[in-house]
Amino acid sequence: MITFGAMAGWQAGLLLLAAGGAAAALFLLKVRPPRVRVPSLLFWTKVLDERREQTLWERIRRAVSLAVTVLIAAALALAFVRPVRAARPAAGGRPATRMLIAIDSSWSMLARTRSGETRWQRALAEARRLASGAGPGAEAALATTGDGLIEAPTSDLVVLDAAIDRLTPSGAGSGWPRVPGATVHLITDGATSRPIPPDVVVHSVYEPADNAGITAFDVRPSLDGSSDDVGYVEVSNFGAAQQVHLTISRGAASILDRRVDMGADQLLHEIIRLPRGRAADVRVHVEARRDALALDDDAYAWIADARPLSVAVVGTDTAWLAPWFRANPDVTGTFARPDAYKPGSEDAVIFDRCAPAGSAAKPALYIAPPALPSLGLTAGPVESKPKWTASEPHPILDGVDPLTFSIERARTGRSAALTPVAQSASGTPLVSIGTAPDRPRAVVLSFGPQDSNLAEAAAFPILMGNAVDWLAKASAGGTRRTGRTSFNASIVRVETPDGKDVPLLNLRGNPIATLARPGIYTAQASGGAAAKFAVNVVDPDVSNLTRSALTGKDSTAIAVASGLAARPWWMYLVVVAFAAALAEWWTWLRRITV
Amino acid sequence: MPLRFEDDFLRKLEYLHVVSRREFAGQNRADRRTPKRGRGIEFADHRAYTPGDDFRLIDWKAYGRLNHLLVRLFDEERDLPIYLILDVSGSMAEPAKFDMARRLAAALCYIGLAHLDRMTLMTFSDGLVQELSPGRGKGRIFRVFEQLEKMDATGTTDLRASCKEFAARPRQTGLAVIISDFLEAEGADIGLKILRTLGHDVFAVHVASRADRDPGALGDVRFVDAETGELREIEVTPRLAEAYGHAWDAHALELQRFCGRYGIGYVRADVDRPFEEIVLKAFRQGRFLA
Repeated sequence: MITFGAMAGWQAGLLLLAAGGAAAALFLLKVRPPRVRVPSLLFWTKVLDERREQTLWERIRRAVSLAVTVLIAAALALAFVRPVRAARPAAGGRPATRMLIAIDSSWSMLARTRSGETRWQRALAEARRLASGAGPGAEAALATTGDGLIEAPTSDLVVLDAAIDRLTPSGAGSGWPRVPGATVHLITDGATSRPIPPDVVVHSVYEPADNAGITAFDVRPSLDGSSDDVGYVEVSNFGAAQQVHLTISRGAASILDRRVDMGADQLLHEIIRLPRGRAADVRVHVEARRDALALDDDAYAWIADARPLSVAVVGTDTAWLAPWFRANPDVTGTFARPDAYKPGSEDAVIFDRCAPAGSAAKPALYIAPPALPSLGLTAGPVESKPKWTASEPHPILDGVDPLTFSIERARTGRSAALTPVAQSASGTPLVSIGTAPDRPRAVVLSFGPQDSNLAEAAAFPILMGNAVDWLAKASAGGTRRTGRTSFNASIVRVETPDGKDVPLLNLRGNPIATLARPGIYTAQASGGAAAKFAVNVVDPDVSNLTRSALTGKDSTAIAVASGLAARPWWMYLVVVAFAAALAEWWTWLRRITV
Repeated sequence: MPLRFEDDFLRKLEYLHVVSRREFAGQNRADRRTPKRGRGIEFADHRAYTPGDDFRLIDWKAYGRLNHLLVRLFDEERDLPIYLILDVSGSMAEPAKFDMARRLAAALCYIGLAHLDRMTLMTFSDGLVQELSPGRGKGRIFRVFEQLEKMDATGTTDLRASCKEFAARPRQTGLAVIISDFLEAEGADIGLKILRTLGHDVFAVHVASRADRDPGALGDVRFVDAETGELREIEVTPRLAEAYGHAWDAHALELQRFCGRYGIGYVRADVDRPFEEIVLKAFRQGRFLA
């Protein structure tokens, strides 16, 4: 039985007839050819009389053109009404009145099958078949294991079809939602094992496939005491023996290029040394002839400390800060007097007992500033011997022991643009931060070296390090896995490797994004600080496409055949129309080229 | 295109004269030999004196040697009747072709007039349309020009009917020159044979243009017959156009062969060729002019 997604059967038939009729009428009412005055038709008559009966094509060409024209119009009209072949009854020989179609959205569903489609495409085709076979009046809901409910129960096939079109894999997830009274149809490849209740009808899109992929990749500081980093790579060949081509590059430079003959189910471990001071991005790539999943062929790392932070120190008496820079190899400082400082390529600026004339162009640490008009901070009265009593949990204060500070006096000025994270007992802000989204981040210490033992305090290097890190780097949380992931509250924007925005959902104050493919992503925090982070698959459960929970003897999963045949007819109809147009073009061309 | 010729070209034309392969007896004295003996200036023969002969013609030197009275005979030199029969049917309506035909007629007429030949200019389509006898002497050429410039090309071609009409009136035999594209369903052979049978020295000037041979259009085309106005929709493929060209070539070749077989002079005048080249070279090569 054929149903039409866009309109009722009689409407579709009417449209078909109208389109065919209109095409035929247009064909018959063809444009009059140009008139050419000739001295005599004598020779044309002679030539045509001699040739007319000889060419079969000349006799049938017009009829062929008419047939092809009508076929094009009919195919396009049929494509427009979106015909769907009603599928077999869902279960038990009787159509269910309500069903939930749950599709496993784990990354292994992107594996390519022998028929050229992916498991995911096969699953979508099966979902369409199930939806169209639900029967008149029956409702179907749509969900994925990664995203949960996508479409509430509906009997509108067009709505369901549009919802299926929108689906993309998003990781294994936790399961599917409960839809009261609905028969659950789970379409899965069984690669991610999960408990499946006995009343769930399982449709298996599993098809074993050979795959070579990166199953582990991490970069960590070397344990041998050097400042180098070390990368650890694991490549797995799931399936028959084959040659695997492994390449590792750092920035534009290639640091490894190997072809390895790997046996069946063999692992390859590679350790690489990554010296400091070079490009921060590292890419691992594998290629193999039998490689069903492309997603695990790349893995990335972003070495945040590959390049030391650049900090400009502005002030008239900044010598007391020099020892801190000397002791900290991850930070390089350039010193300038206030009248000579011009913003450059530095990551952050330290204004030592001075302040810029206008707004700071870079994230800045202000040590005992006289006043900060750009942040609305005026020089207030001074509190003597303030006691550091209250502090908010903040990355700047991580590991900072306030008892090591001996503060003689501190400025009591406040500003709405600054949030105190450490205060005295009387409420004088000792450490404040500015996180306004429209200006660079700011940290303000209301006391300086002349007001305290700041330069000698044990907590000073920690406080400085924390402040510079917080100013210059956004915290994106290091390497992440593909799929849904959350960020800290300061992240306001995440960009894909090619610069496109990743949609962010705010869940209880934390932004959540779905990272769909491996690469180097960029997270931007409020205040302009940005951090790059790597996203990888690196999961043997995803890469191992020869294994499925549905292959056991007692499995009752319904095998799903190739989804190519179940693709929407309109695609084929458009292809047919295109082919017919080509045929007509060819027949037209024959008139002047043969 | 004006029919008037440059003076320089006219001077060149004056050096030419129309060649007739046979001798015809004209009406008036001129500079062409005739089969008759008469009062020419070129000695031809002697015959015995008979009473009544003009004494001035007795060859006294021969009498002295032979003791017989002999009379000198001279070739009679008269004019040549030349009939220029111009096709003015619709198939000649293409400007380039019609201009070529009229200019050829004008040039031939001028040559004839310059040599005191008796020119008769006729036009035909499905019958004789017009007949003009300008008189003698090259000063009459302007009347010819005027008449030629007034002509229009319309109607269907029927050379046979036109030649029958030509034959219906008694005319002196002479040179009959047909200037036409010879695009006729019935064929030109019967008409040419009629003229030949009448005893004329017939000459065919085949005027042809590129449009005759090449339809100049591909794809769906509605062809309109210039003579009958008949419409025909034809899908012109390159192969069909080529076949059309071959058919026209075969027609031209057949006409040329027919003319050769029946002793009819044939000259092809393609409109693409320079006019002077046709007159000064092609016509001389075709032994029509000398």
